[in-house]
Amino acid sequence: MKNPFRNKTRSALSIIGIAIGIATIVALGLITAGMEDSVQTTFNEGGAEITVTNATNIGGASGLLNASFIDELKNVTNVSDAVGQLSVSESNQSFMQSRSPVMGTTVYGINASKLNLAGISNVDGDVYEEDSFEVIIGSRYADLNNFSIGDNLSFLGHDFEVVGIYETGNMMLDNGVYTSLSKLQNISDTDEVSSILVKTSEGVNDSIVSQNIKDKYENVSTLTSEEMSSMLDEVIGILDAASLAISGLAIIVGAIGVINTMVMTVYERTKEIGVLKSIGWKSRKILTMILGETLVLTTLSGIIGSVFGILIAEVGVRLIGTDGFSLVYTPKTFILAFGITIIVGIIGGVYPAYKASKLAPTEALRYE
Amino acid sequence: MELIILYNVLKQYDDGAVTALNNISLSIEKGSFVSIIGPSGSGKSTLLNMLGALDSPDSGQVIIDGIDLATQKDLSDFRRHEIGFVFQLHNLLPNLTVQENVEIPLMDANMSEKDKHRRALLFIEAVGLLDKKKQKPNKLSGGERQRVAIARALVNFPSIILADEPTGALDTRTGAKVLDVLRFVHESIDATLIIVTHDRDVARLADRTIEIRDGQVINDYYNR
Repeated sequence: MKNPFRNKTRSALSIIGIAIGIATIVALGLITAGMEDSVQTTFNEGGAEITVTNATNIGGASGLLNASFIDELKNVTNVSDAVGQLSVSESNQSFMQSRSPVMGTTVYGINASKLNLAGISNVDGDVYEEDSFEVIIGSRYADLNNFSIGDNLSFLGHDFEVVGIYETGNMMLDNGVYTSLSKLQNISDTDEVSSILVKTSEGVNDSIVSQNIKDKYENVSTLTSEEMSSMLDEVIGILDAASLAISGLAIIVGAIGVINTMVMTVYERTKEIGVLKSIGWKSRKILTMILGETLVLTTLSGIIGSVFGILIAEVGVRLIGTDGFSLVYTPKTFILAFGITIIVGIIGGVYPAYKASKLAPTEALRYE
Repeated sequence: MELIILYNVLKQYDDGAVTALNNISLSIEKGSFVSIIGPSGSGKSTLLNMLGALDSPDSGQVIIDGIDLATQKDLSDFRRHEIGFVFQLHNLLPNLTVQENVEIPLMDANMSEKDKHRRALLFIEAVGLLDKKKQKPNKLSGGERQRVAIARALVNFPSIILADEPTGALDTRTGAKVLDVLRFVHESIDATLIIVTHDRDVARLADRTIEIRDGQVINDYYNR
Protein backbone atom coordinates (compact mmCIF):
# COMPACT_ATOMS: atom_id res chain seq x y z
CA MET A 1 0.00 0.00 0.00
CA LYS A 2 1.09 3.55 -0.64
CA ASN A 3 2.49 5.73 2.08
CA PRO A 4 -0.55 7.46 3.60
CA PHE A 5 1.52 10.59 4.13
CA ARG A 6 2.31 10.95 0.48
CA ASN A 7 1.39 14.38 -0.74
CA LYS A 8 3.12 15.70 -3.81
CA THR A 9 2.85 19.42 -3.04
CA ARG A 10 3.88 19.02 0.58
CA SER A 11 6.79 16.74 -0.37
CA ALA A 12 7.96 19.15 -3.06
CA LEU A 13 7.87 22.07 -0.61
CA SER A 14 9.73 20.04 2.00
CA ILE A 15 12.37 19.03 -0.52
CA ILE A 16 12.86 22.66 -1.58
CA GLY A 17 13.15 23.77 2.05
CA ILE A 18 15.72 21.13 2.90
CA ALA A 19 17.58 21.50 -0.41
CA ILE A 20 18.14 25.20 0.30
CA GLY A 21 19.89 24.23 3.53
CA ILE A 22 22.05 21.67 1.76
CA ALA A 23 22.82 24.04 -1.11
CA THR A 24 24.07 26.59 1.44
CA ILE A 25 26.37 24.06 3.09
CA VAL A 26 27.68 22.74 -0.24
CA ALA A 27 28.21 26.14 -1.89
CA LEU A 28 30.05 27.64 1.07
CA GLY A 29 31.97 24.38 1.58
CA LEU A 30 33.24 24.44 -2.01
CA ILE A 31 34.21 28.10 -1.76
CA THR A 32 36.07 27.79 1.54
CA ALA A 33 37.89 24.66 0.34
CA GLY A 34 38.86 26.62 -2.77
CA MET A 35 40.15 29.51 -0.63
CA GLU A 36 42.29 27.23 1.49
CA ASP A 37 43.64 25.42 -1.54
CA SER A 38 44.62 28.58 -3.42
CA VAL A 39 46.46 29.96 -0.41
CA GLN A 40 48.29 26.71 0.20
CA THR A 41 49.24 26.45 -3.46
CA THR A 42 50.44 30.04 -3.47
CA PHE A 43 52.84 29.49 -0.66
CA ASN A 44 54.73 26.43 -1.77
CA GLU A 45 58.46 26.53 -1.22
CA GLY A 46 60.84 27.78 -3.89
CA GLY A 47 64.30 26.48 -4.71
CA ALA A 48 66.57 28.77 -2.69
CA GLU A 49 66.61 28.52 1.08
CA ILE A 50 67.48 32.16 1.81
CA THR A 51 66.46 35.35 0.06
CA VAL A 52 68.74 38.32 0.69
CA THR A 53 67.50 41.85 0.08
CA ASN A 54 68.67 45.34 0.81
CA ALA A 55 67.68 46.26 4.38
CA THR A 56 66.19 49.49 3.08
CA ASN A 57 64.04 47.54 0.68
CA ILE A 58 60.43 48.07 1.60
CA GLY A 59 58.04 45.94 -0.35
CA GLY A 60 60.54 45.59 -3.19
CA ALA A 61 60.09 49.26 -4.05
CA SER A 62 63.59 50.45 -3.51
CA GLY A 63 67.01 49.47 -2.36
CA LEU A 64 68.87 47.40 -4.88
CA LEU A 65 71.97 45.34 -4.18
CA ASN A 66 75.27 45.60 -5.97
CA ALA A 67 75.81 42.58 -8.25
CA SER A 68 79.32 42.11 -6.87
CA PHE A 69 77.65 41.18 -3.60
CA ILE A 70 76.60 37.87 -5.18
CA ASP A 71 80.17 36.61 -5.29
CA GLU A 72 80.74 37.76 -1.71
CA LEU A 73 77.78 35.72 -0.54
CA LYS A 74 79.07 32.63 -2.35
CA ASN A 75 82.09 32.80 -0.08
CA VAL A 76 80.03 32.74 3.12
CA THR A 77 80.42 29.45 4.97
CA ASN A 78 77.83 26.81 4.04
CA VAL A 79 76.53 28.77 1.04
CA SER A 80 76.65 26.49 -1.98
CA ASP A 81 75.30 28.88 -4.59
CA ALA A 82 73.85 32.35 -5.00
CA VAL A 83 72.17 34.13 -7.85
CA GLY A 84 71.00 37.67 -8.37
CA GLN A 85 67.44 38.45 -9.35
CA LEU A 86 66.08 41.75 -10.57
CA SER A 87 62.38 42.44 -10.54
CA VAL A 88 60.94 45.28 -12.59
CA SER A 89 57.30 46.22 -12.65
CA GLU A 90 55.68 47.89 -15.56
CA SER A 91 54.42 51.41 -14.93
CA ASN A 92 50.69 51.96 -14.83
CA GLN A 93 50.72 53.80 -18.11
CA SER A 94 52.42 50.95 -19.94
CA PHE A 95 50.17 48.52 -18.14
CA MET A 96 47.17 50.29 -19.65
CA GLN A 97 48.64 49.70 -23.10
CA SER A 98 49.69 46.15 -22.42
CA ARG A 99 47.76 43.01 -23.30
CA SER A 100 47.26 42.12 -19.66
CA PRO A 101 43.58 42.56 -18.79
CA VAL A 102 44.08 42.03 -15.09
CA MET A 103 47.12 43.61 -13.61
CA GLY A 104 50.47 45.11 -14.39
CA THR A 105 53.32 42.80 -15.21
CA THR A 106 56.37 42.21 -13.07
CA VAL A 107 59.27 40.72 -14.96
CA TYR A 108 62.07 38.92 -13.12
CA GLY A 109 65.55 38.79 -14.53
CA ILE A 110 67.66 35.81 -13.57
CA ASN A 111 70.45 33.82 -15.17
CA ALA A 112 68.77 31.04 -17.20
CA SER A 113 71.07 28.36 -15.77
CA LYS A 114 70.04 29.35 -12.23
CA LEU A 115 66.26 29.22 -12.69
CA ASN A 116 66.12 26.22 -10.35
CA LEU A 117 67.03 28.56 -7.46
CA ALA A 118 63.86 30.50 -8.21
CA GLY A 119 61.93 27.20 -7.98
CA ILE A 120 61.49 26.78 -11.74
CA SER A 121 62.56 23.49 -13.23
CA ASN A 122 59.79 22.32 -15.50
CA VAL A 123 59.60 24.47 -18.63
CA ASP A 124 57.46 23.59 -21.60
CA GLY A 125 59.25 24.88 -24.73
CA ASP A 126 62.64 26.56 -24.43
CA VAL A 127 64.38 28.63 -21.81
CA TYR A 128 65.34 32.15 -22.90
CA GLU A 129 68.77 32.84 -24.34
CA GLU A 130 71.03 35.16 -22.35
CA ASP A 131 70.75 38.81 -23.33
CA SER A 132 67.85 38.14 -25.72
CA PHE A 133 64.32 39.57 -25.98
CA GLU A 134 62.91 36.24 -24.90
CA VAL A 135 60.85 35.35 -21.83
CA ILE A 136 59.35 32.34 -20.16
CA ILE A 137 56.04 32.83 -18.45
CA GLY A 138 54.16 31.02 -15.72
CA SER A 139 51.18 28.86 -16.66
CA ARG A 140 48.76 30.99 -14.66
CA TYR A 141 50.05 34.19 -16.27
CA ALA A 142 49.65 32.51 -19.66
CA ASP A 143 46.09 31.48 -18.87
CA LEU A 144 45.03 34.83 -17.47
CA ASN A 145 46.52 36.83 -20.34
CA ASN A 146 45.84 34.26 -23.03
CA PHE A 147 49.49 33.88 -24.01
CA SER A 148 51.05 30.90 -25.71
CA ILE A 149 54.52 30.05 -26.96
CA GLY A 150 55.51 32.24 -29.91
CA ASP A 151 53.41 35.24 -28.79
CA ASN A 152 55.00 38.61 -28.11
CA LEU A 153 54.76 40.30 -24.74
CA SER A 154 55.18 44.04 -24.61
CA PHE A 155 57.20 45.30 -21.67
CA LEU A 156 58.80 48.70 -21.09
CA GLY A 157 58.39 49.49 -24.75
CA HIS A 158 60.06 46.30 -25.95
CA ASP A 159 58.59 43.17 -27.46
CA PHE A 160 59.63 39.94 -25.77
CA GLU A 161 58.96 36.60 -27.40
CA VAL A 162 57.42 33.93 -25.21
CA VAL A 163 59.66 30.91 -25.71
CA GLY A 164 58.50 28.71 -22.84
CA ILE A 165 55.80 28.24 -20.27
CA TYR A 166 56.59 26.81 -16.85
CA GLU A 167 54.45 25.39 -14.09
CA THR A 168 55.48 25.00 -10.45
CA GLY A 169 52.14 24.64 -8.68
CA ASN A 170 52.97 27.81 -6.75
CA MET A 171 50.27 30.34 -7.56
CA MET A 172 52.50 33.40 -7.17
CA LEU A 173 55.41 31.89 -9.05
CA ASP A 174 53.16 30.66 -11.85
CA ASN A 175 51.96 34.21 -12.34
CA GLY A 176 55.49 35.41 -13.14
CA VAL A 177 57.50 36.38 -16.22
CA TYR A 178 61.22 35.56 -16.34
CA THR A 179 63.91 36.78 -18.70
CA SER A 180 67.63 37.15 -18.87
CA LEU A 181 69.06 39.21 -16.00
CA SER A 182 71.47 41.09 -18.28
CA LYS A 183 68.69 42.02 -20.72
CA LEU A 184 66.40 43.25 -17.92
CA GLN A 185 69.28 45.25 -16.39
CA ASN A 186 70.01 46.66 -19.79
CA ILE A 187 66.49 47.89 -20.57
CA SER A 188 65.93 49.19 -17.06
CA ASP A 189 69.29 50.89 -17.05
CA THR A 190 70.79 49.33 -13.97
CA ASP A 191 73.53 46.85 -13.16
CA GLU A 192 72.19 45.98 -9.72
CA VAL A 193 69.81 43.26 -8.48
CA SER A 194 66.69 43.37 -6.28
CA SER A 195 67.44 40.26 -4.32
CA ILE A 196 69.92 37.42 -4.09
CA LEU A 197 68.68 33.85 -3.86
CA VAL A 198 71.00 31.79 -1.70
CA LYS A 199 71.26 28.02 -1.78
CA THR A 200 72.78 26.51 1.34
CA SER A 201 74.90 23.36 1.56
CA GLU A 202 73.13 20.09 2.21
CA GLY A 203 72.29 19.39 5.85
CA VAL A 204 73.13 22.78 7.31
CA ASN A 205 70.87 24.89 9.48
CA ASP A 206 69.51 27.65 7.23
CA SER A 207 68.81 29.93 10.18
CA ILE A 208 72.48 29.87 11.22
CA VAL A 209 73.63 30.67 7.69
CA SER A 210 71.04 33.43 7.50
CA GLN A 211 72.23 34.88 10.81
CA ASN A 212 75.87 34.70 9.62
CA ILE A 213 74.96 36.73 6.53
CA LYS A 214 73.17 39.36 8.61
CA ASP A 215 76.07 39.53 11.06
CA LYS A 216 78.57 39.96 8.27
CA TYR A 217 76.62 42.50 6.24
CA GLU A 218 74.69 45.00 8.27
CA ASN A 219 72.76 46.57 5.40
CA VAL A 220 70.96 43.41 4.29
CA SER A 221 67.92 41.55 5.48
CA THR A 222 67.32 37.85 5.00
CA LEU A 223 64.33 35.61 4.88
CA THR A 224 64.69 31.86 5.09
CA SER A 225 62.17 29.51 3.51
CA GLU A 226 61.35 28.28 7.02
CA GLU A 227 60.53 31.80 8.16
CA MET A 228 58.53 32.29 5.02
CA SER A 229 56.61 29.07 5.60
CA SER A 230 55.93 29.92 9.24
CA MET A 231 54.54 33.29 8.13
CA LEU A 232 52.42 31.50 5.61
CA ASP A 233 51.30 28.95 8.18
CA GLU A 234 49.98 31.84 10.19
CA VAL A 235 48.03 33.13 7.18
CA ILE A 236 46.65 29.66 6.48
CA GLY A 237 45.71 29.32 10.15
CA ILE A 238 43.70 32.54 9.98
CA LEU A 239 42.08 31.36 6.78
CA ASP A 240 41.29 27.99 8.33
CA ALA A 241 39.57 29.69 11.24
CA ALA A 242 37.64 31.92 8.83
CA SER A 243 36.53 29.00 6.68
CA LEU A 244 35.53 27.05 9.79
CA ALA A 245 33.40 30.00 10.88
CA ILE A 246 31.80 30.26 7.42
CA SER A 247 31.18 26.50 7.28
CA GLY A 248 29.75 26.59 10.80
CA LEU A 249 27.42 29.38 9.79
CA ALA A 250 26.36 27.46 6.68
CA ILE A 251 25.68 24.37 8.77
CA ILE A 252 23.62 26.33 11.30
CA VAL A 253 21.63 28.07 8.56
CA GLY A 254 21.17 24.81 6.65
CA ALA A 255 20.29 22.79 9.75
CA ILE A 256 17.70 25.34 10.90
CA GLY A 257 16.13 25.20 7.43
CA VAL A 258 15.98 21.41 7.50
CA ILE A 259 14.67 21.14 11.06
CA ASN A 260 12.07 23.85 10.45
CA THR A 261 10.79 22.13 7.33
CA MET A 262 10.60 18.70 8.95
CA VAL A 263 8.97 19.94 12.16
CA MET A 264 6.32 21.84 10.22
CA THR A 265 5.74 18.94 7.84
CA VAL A 266 5.17 16.44 10.63
CA TYR A 267 3.17 18.79 12.88
CA GLU A 268 0.79 19.25 9.99
CA ARG A 269 0.19 15.51 10.06
CA THR A 270 -0.78 15.29 13.69
CA LYS A 271 -4.42 14.77 12.73
CA GLU A 272 -3.48 12.04 10.25
CA ILE A 273 -1.45 10.38 12.97
CA GLY A 274 -4.55 10.56 15.18
CA VAL A 275 -6.64 8.87 12.48
CA LEU A 276 -4.10 6.07 12.10
CA LYS A 277 -3.92 5.59 15.88
CA SER A 278 -7.68 5.44 16.18
CA ILE A 279 -7.76 2.77 13.49
CA GLY A 280 -5.27 0.70 15.43
CA TRP A 281 -1.83 1.55 14.13
CA LYS A 282 0.95 1.20 16.68
CA SER A 283 3.11 4.24 17.53
CA ARG A 284 6.20 2.28 16.43
CA LYS A 285 4.73 1.68 13.02
CA ILE A 286 3.86 5.35 12.58
CA LEU A 287 7.38 6.38 13.65
CA THR A 288 8.99 3.86 11.29
CA MET A 289 6.96 5.19 8.42
CA ILE A 290 7.89 8.81 9.15
CA LEU A 291 11.54 7.84 9.60
CA GLY A 292 11.52 6.10 6.22
CA GLU A 293 9.87 9.05 4.59
CA THR A 294 12.32 11.45 6.25
CA LEU A 295 15.25 9.46 4.87
CA VAL A 296 13.80 9.50 1.37
CA LEU A 297 13.02 13.21 1.61
CA THR A 298 16.43 14.19 2.97
CA THR A 299 18.34 12.00 0.51
CA LEU A 300 16.41 13.43 -2.44
CA SER A 301 16.87 16.91 -1.02
CA GLY A 302 20.57 16.14 -0.54
CA ILE A 303 21.01 15.32 -4.21
CA ILE A 304 18.99 18.32 -5.42
CA GLY A 305 20.61 20.65 -2.86
CA SER A 306 24.12 19.49 -3.81
CA VAL A 307 23.47 20.15 -7.49
CA PHE A 308 22.10 23.60 -6.67
CA GLY A 309 24.98 24.28 -4.28
CA ILE A 310 27.47 23.49 -7.05
CA LEU A 311 25.57 25.66 -9.52
CA ILE A 312 25.35 28.58 -7.08
CA ALA A 313 29.06 28.36 -6.23
CA GLU A 314 30.16 27.99 -9.87
CA VAL A 315 27.93 30.83 -11.09
CA GLY A 316 28.93 33.01 -8.12
CA VAL A 317 32.66 32.53 -8.70
CA ARG A 318 32.23 33.33 -12.41
CA LEU A 319 30.11 36.41 -11.71
CA ILE A 320 32.52 37.81 -9.15
CA GLY A 321 35.36 36.99 -11.53
CA THR A 322 38.03 36.01 -9.04
CA ASP A 323 40.87 35.22 -11.43
CA GLY A 324 42.81 32.11 -10.67
CA PHE A 325 40.40 31.08 -7.89
CA SER A 326 38.68 27.80 -8.43
CA LEU A 327 36.30 25.75 -6.32
CA VAL A 328 37.67 22.63 -4.71
CA TYR A 329 35.47 19.53 -4.68
CA THR A 330 36.18 17.31 -1.71
CA PRO A 331 34.08 14.37 -0.47
CA LYS A 332 34.19 16.07 2.95
CA THR A 333 31.91 18.88 1.77
CA PHE A 334 29.23 16.51 0.51
CA ILE A 335 29.52 14.01 3.36
CA LEU A 336 29.14 16.89 5.81
CA ALA A 337 26.11 18.30 3.98
CA PHE A 338 24.39 14.91 3.71
CA GLY A 339 25.33 13.82 7.23
CA ILE A 340 24.08 17.00 8.88
CA THR A 341 20.89 17.00 6.85
CA ILE A 342 19.99 13.40 7.52
CA ILE A 343 20.72 13.65 11.25
CA VAL A 344 18.93 16.98 11.63
CA GLY A 345 16.11 15.80 9.32
CA ILE A 346 15.54 12.71 11.44
CA ILE A 347 15.51 14.73 14.65
CA GLY A 348 13.20 17.31 13.05
CA GLY A 349 10.90 14.65 11.63
CA VAL A 350 10.83 12.01 14.31
CA TYR A 351 10.57 14.29 17.34
CA PRO A 352 7.18 15.82 16.43
CA ALA A 353 6.02 12.42 15.16
CA TYR A 354 7.02 10.87 18.50
CA LYS A 355 5.15 13.60 20.36
CA ALA A 356 2.08 13.13 18.16
CA SER A 357 2.18 9.35 18.52
CA LYS A 358 2.20 9.72 22.30
CA LEU A 359 -0.96 11.83 22.27
CA ALA A 360 -4.29 10.18 22.93
CA PRO A 361 -5.97 9.60 19.54
CA THR A 362 -8.72 12.05 20.47
CA GLU A 363 -6.20 14.82 21.16
CA ALA A 364 -4.36 14.15 17.90
CA LEU A 365 -7.67 14.15 16.03
CA ARG A 366 -8.55 17.55 17.49
CA TYR A 367 -5.26 19.03 16.23
CA GLU A 368 -5.69 21.67 13.52
CA MET B 1 -24.51 -11.15 27.79
CA GLU B 2 -22.94 -7.85 28.71
CA LEU B 3 -20.14 -6.88 26.35
CA ILE B 4 -19.47 -3.39 27.68
CA ILE B 5 -19.52 -2.24 31.31
CA LEU B 6 -18.80 1.28 32.47
CA TYR B 7 -18.41 1.77 36.18
CA ASN B 8 -18.27 5.25 37.75
CA VAL B 9 -16.44 6.76 34.79
CA LEU B 10 -15.26 10.32 35.34
CA LYS B 11 -13.69 12.47 32.64
CA GLN B 12 -12.84 16.11 33.08
CA TYR B 13 -11.12 18.70 30.89
CA ASP B 14 -9.36 22.02 31.52
CA ASP B 15 -8.01 20.93 34.90
CA GLY B 16 -11.42 19.94 36.17
CA ALA B 17 -13.26 23.05 34.96
CA VAL B 18 -15.35 20.98 32.53
CA THR B 19 -16.84 17.61 33.51
CA ALA B 20 -17.66 15.64 30.38
CA LEU B 21 -18.60 12.39 32.11
CA ASN B 22 -19.76 12.56 35.70
CA ASN B 23 -19.33 9.14 37.36
CA ILE B 24 -21.37 7.41 34.67
CA SER B 25 -22.21 3.70 34.95
CA LEU B 26 -23.92 1.57 32.33
CA SER B 27 -23.72 -1.73 30.49
CA ILE B 28 -24.42 -2.74 26.90
CA GLU B 29 -25.32 -6.19 25.66
CA LYS B 30 -23.43 -8.00 22.94
CA GLY B 31 -24.99 -7.70 19.47
CA SER B 32 -27.35 -4.91 20.45
CA PHE B 33 -28.03 -1.64 18.64
CA VAL B 34 -27.83 1.28 21.06
CA SER B 35 -28.25 4.98 20.42
CA ILE B 36 -26.81 7.64 22.71
CA ILE B 37 -28.68 10.88 22.56
CA GLY B 38 -28.23 14.26 24.15
CA PRO B 39 -27.65 17.93 23.41
CA SER B 40 -24.29 19.37 22.35
CA GLY B 41 -21.74 19.24 25.16
CA SER B 42 -23.66 16.59 27.08
CA GLY B 43 -20.70 14.18 26.96
CA LYS B 44 -21.98 11.68 24.40
CA SER B 45 -18.94 11.88 22.10
CA THR B 46 -16.61 11.59 25.10
CA LEU B 47 -18.52 8.48 26.12
CA LEU B 48 -18.12 7.02 22.65
CA ASN B 49 -14.37 7.78 22.72
CA MET B 50 -14.10 5.88 26.03
CA LEU B 51 -15.86 2.88 24.52
CA GLY B 52 -13.55 2.98 21.50
CA ALA B 53 -10.40 3.18 23.67
CA LEU B 54 -9.56 6.49 22.04
CA ASP B 55 -9.48 8.19 25.41
CA SER B 56 -9.08 7.05 28.99
CA PRO B 57 -11.14 8.00 32.06
CA ASP B 58 -9.73 10.05 34.93
CA SER B 59 -11.31 7.53 37.26
CA GLY B 60 -13.62 4.54 37.03
CA GLN B 61 -13.46 1.47 34.83
CA VAL B 62 -14.19 0.66 31.20
CA ILE B 63 -14.52 -3.10 30.81
CA ILE B 64 -14.99 -4.55 27.34
CA ASP B 65 -15.44 -8.27 26.79
CA GLY B 66 -14.15 -8.86 30.33
CA ILE B 67 -10.98 -6.76 29.85
CA ASP B 68 -10.40 -3.65 31.92
CA LEU B 69 -8.89 -1.25 29.38
CA ALA B 70 -6.85 0.53 32.05
CA THR B 71 -4.80 -2.66 32.51
CA GLN B 72 -3.79 -2.75 28.85
CA LYS B 73 -0.44 -1.13 28.04
CA ASP B 74 -1.03 -0.85 24.33
CA LEU B 75 -4.58 -0.54 23.05
CA SER B 76 -3.72 -0.40 19.36
CA ASP B 77 -4.37 -4.13 18.79
CA PHE B 78 -7.64 -3.84 20.68
CA ARG B 79 -8.72 -0.90 18.54
CA ARG B 80 -7.73 -2.64 15.34
CA HIS B 81 -9.46 -5.96 16.06
CA GLU B 82 -12.44 -5.06 18.22
CA ILE B 83 -13.46 -1.53 17.29
CA GLY B 84 -14.78 0.01 14.11
CA PHE B 85 -15.04 3.77 14.55
CA VAL B 86 -17.06 5.97 12.20
CA PHE B 87 -16.25 9.65 12.79
CA GLN B 88 -18.70 12.46 12.23
CA LEU B 89 -16.29 14.09 9.78
CA HIS B 90 -15.21 10.69 8.40
CA ASN B 91 -11.44 11.48 8.81
CA LEU B 92 -10.39 9.85 5.58
CA LEU B 93 -6.78 10.35 4.49
CA PRO B 94 -6.98 12.77 1.56
CA ASN B 95 -3.97 11.42 -0.32
CA LEU B 96 -5.27 7.90 -0.58
CA THR B 97 -7.95 6.44 -2.83
CA VAL B 98 -11.19 4.94 -1.52
CA GLN B 99 -9.72 1.45 -1.67
CA GLU B 100 -6.45 2.47 0.00
CA ASN B 101 -8.34 4.21 2.81
CA VAL B 102 -10.38 1.09 3.45
CA GLU B 103 -7.22 -1.05 3.47
CA ILE B 104 -5.43 0.99 6.17
CA PRO B 105 -6.70 -1.14 9.11
CA LEU B 106 -5.50 -4.27 7.27
CA MET B 107 -1.90 -3.02 7.13
CA ASP B 108 -0.63 -5.47 9.74
CA ALA B 109 -3.15 -8.25 9.02
CA ASN B 110 -1.69 -11.67 8.38
CA MET B 111 -3.00 -11.92 4.85
CA SER B 112 -1.71 -11.59 1.31
CA GLU B 113 -2.03 -8.29 -0.55
CA LYS B 114 -4.52 -9.95 -2.87
CA ASP B 115 -6.70 -10.99 0.05
CA LYS B 116 -6.48 -7.49 1.51
CA HIS B 117 -7.69 -6.03 -1.78
CA ARG B 118 -10.48 -8.61 -1.96
CA ARG B 119 -11.62 -7.89 1.60
CA ALA B 120 -11.56 -4.11 1.05
CA LEU B 121 -13.51 -4.42 -2.18
CA LEU B 122 -16.10 -6.59 -0.45
CA PHE B 123 -16.90 -3.75 1.95
CA ILE B 124 -16.64 -1.04 -0.69
CA GLU B 125 -19.23 -2.99 -2.65
CA ALA B 126 -21.37 -3.36 0.48
CA VAL B 127 -21.52 0.44 0.83
CA GLY B 128 -22.23 0.80 -2.89
CA LEU B 129 -19.04 2.51 -3.99
CA LEU B 130 -17.30 -0.11 -6.10
CA ASP B 131 -17.26 2.19 -9.12
CA LYS B 132 -15.46 4.87 -7.06
CA LYS B 133 -12.75 2.68 -5.56
CA LYS B 134 -9.94 4.60 -7.33
CA GLN B 135 -11.30 8.05 -6.45
CA LYS B 136 -9.73 10.32 -3.86
CA PRO B 137 -12.04 11.53 -1.02
CA ASN B 138 -12.18 15.07 -2.40
CA LYS B 139 -13.99 13.74 -5.47
CA LEU B 140 -16.76 12.20 -3.35
CA SER B 141 -19.93 13.67 -1.87
CA GLY B 142 -20.38 13.91 1.92
CA GLY B 143 -22.57 10.78 1.98
CA GLU B 144 -20.10 8.82 -0.12
CA ARG B 145 -17.23 9.79 2.16
CA GLN B 146 -19.21 8.66 5.17
CA ARG B 147 -19.87 5.32 3.46
CA VAL B 148 -16.12 4.93 2.81
CA ALA B 149 -15.53 5.64 6.51
CA ILE B 150 -18.07 2.92 7.35
CA ALA B 151 -16.33 0.45 5.03
CA ARG B 152 -13.00 1.28 6.70
CA ALA B 153 -14.53 0.81 10.16
CA LEU B 154 -15.92 -2.59 9.26
CA VAL B 155 -13.14 -4.11 7.19
CA ASN B 156 -11.63 -5.93 10.19
CA PHE B 157 -15.01 -7.40 11.23
CA PRO B 158 -15.02 -5.55 14.57
CA SER B 159 -17.19 -6.76 17.41
CA ILE B 160 -18.19 -3.17 18.23
CA ILE B 161 -19.13 -0.48 15.71
CA LEU B 162 -19.06 3.05 17.12
CA ALA B 163 -20.52 5.84 15.02
CA ASP B 164 -20.28 9.45 16.14
CA GLU B 165 -23.07 11.47 14.51
CA PRO B 166 -22.74 9.47 11.28
CA THR B 167 -25.59 11.40 9.68
CA GLY B 168 -24.85 14.74 11.32
CA ALA B 169 -23.36 16.34 8.24
CA LEU B 170 -25.69 14.68 5.72
CA ASP B 171 -29.07 15.49 4.22
CA THR B 172 -32.02 13.34 5.32
CA ARG B 173 -32.02 11.05 2.27
CA THR B 174 -28.25 10.41 2.33
CA GLY B 175 -28.38 10.02 6.11
CA ALA B 176 -31.03 7.33 5.78
CA LYS B 177 -28.89 5.44 3.29
CA VAL B 178 -25.89 5.58 5.63
CA LEU B 179 -28.00 4.29 8.51
CA ASP B 180 -29.30 1.46 6.30
CA VAL B 181 -25.71 0.43 5.58
CA LEU B 182 -24.82 0.50 9.28
CA ARG B 183 -27.84 -1.53 10.29
CA PHE B 184 -27.27 -4.02 7.48
CA VAL B 185 -23.67 -4.61 8.55
CA HIS B 186 -24.61 -4.77 12.22
CA GLU B 187 -27.10 -7.51 11.44
CA SER B 188 -24.85 -9.30 8.96
CA ILE B 189 -21.78 -9.68 11.19
CA ASP B 190 -23.67 -9.57 14.49
CA ALA B 191 -21.65 -6.63 15.74
CA THR B 192 -22.72 -4.38 18.59
CA LEU B 193 -23.68 -1.04 17.07
CA ILE B 194 -23.56 2.15 19.13
CA ILE B 195 -24.57 5.41 17.53
CA VAL B 196 -24.22 8.88 19.00
CA THR B 197 -26.81 11.30 17.69
CA HIS B 198 -28.78 14.35 18.65
CA ASP B 199 -31.57 13.34 16.24
CA ARG B 200 -34.45 11.57 18.04
CA ASP B 201 -35.68 9.96 14.80
CA VAL B 202 -32.30 8.35 14.28
CA ALA B 203 -32.15 7.35 17.96
CA ARG B 204 -35.50 5.58 17.70
CA LEU B 205 -34.10 3.17 15.07
CA ALA B 206 -31.98 1.56 17.80
CA ASP B 207 -33.14 -1.23 20.14
CA ARG B 208 -32.25 0.93 23.12
CA THR B 209 -31.64 4.62 23.73
CA ILE B 210 -29.45 6.10 26.43
CA GLU B 211 -30.08 9.78 27.06
CA ILE B 212 -27.26 11.86 28.48
CA ARG B 213 -27.12 15.35 29.90
CA ASP B 214 -24.27 17.05 31.78
CA GLY B 215 -22.26 13.87 31.72
CA GLN B 216 -24.89 11.75 33.40
CA VAL B 217 -27.46 9.23 32.19
CA ILE B 218 -30.87 10.86 32.60
CA ASN B 219 -32.90 8.29 30.71
CA ASP B 220 -32.32 4.74 29.49
CA TYR B 221 -35.08 2.92 27.63
CA TYR B 222 -35.83 0.25 25.00
CA ASN B 223 -37.56 1.33 21.79
CA ARG B 224 -39.15 -2.06 21.12
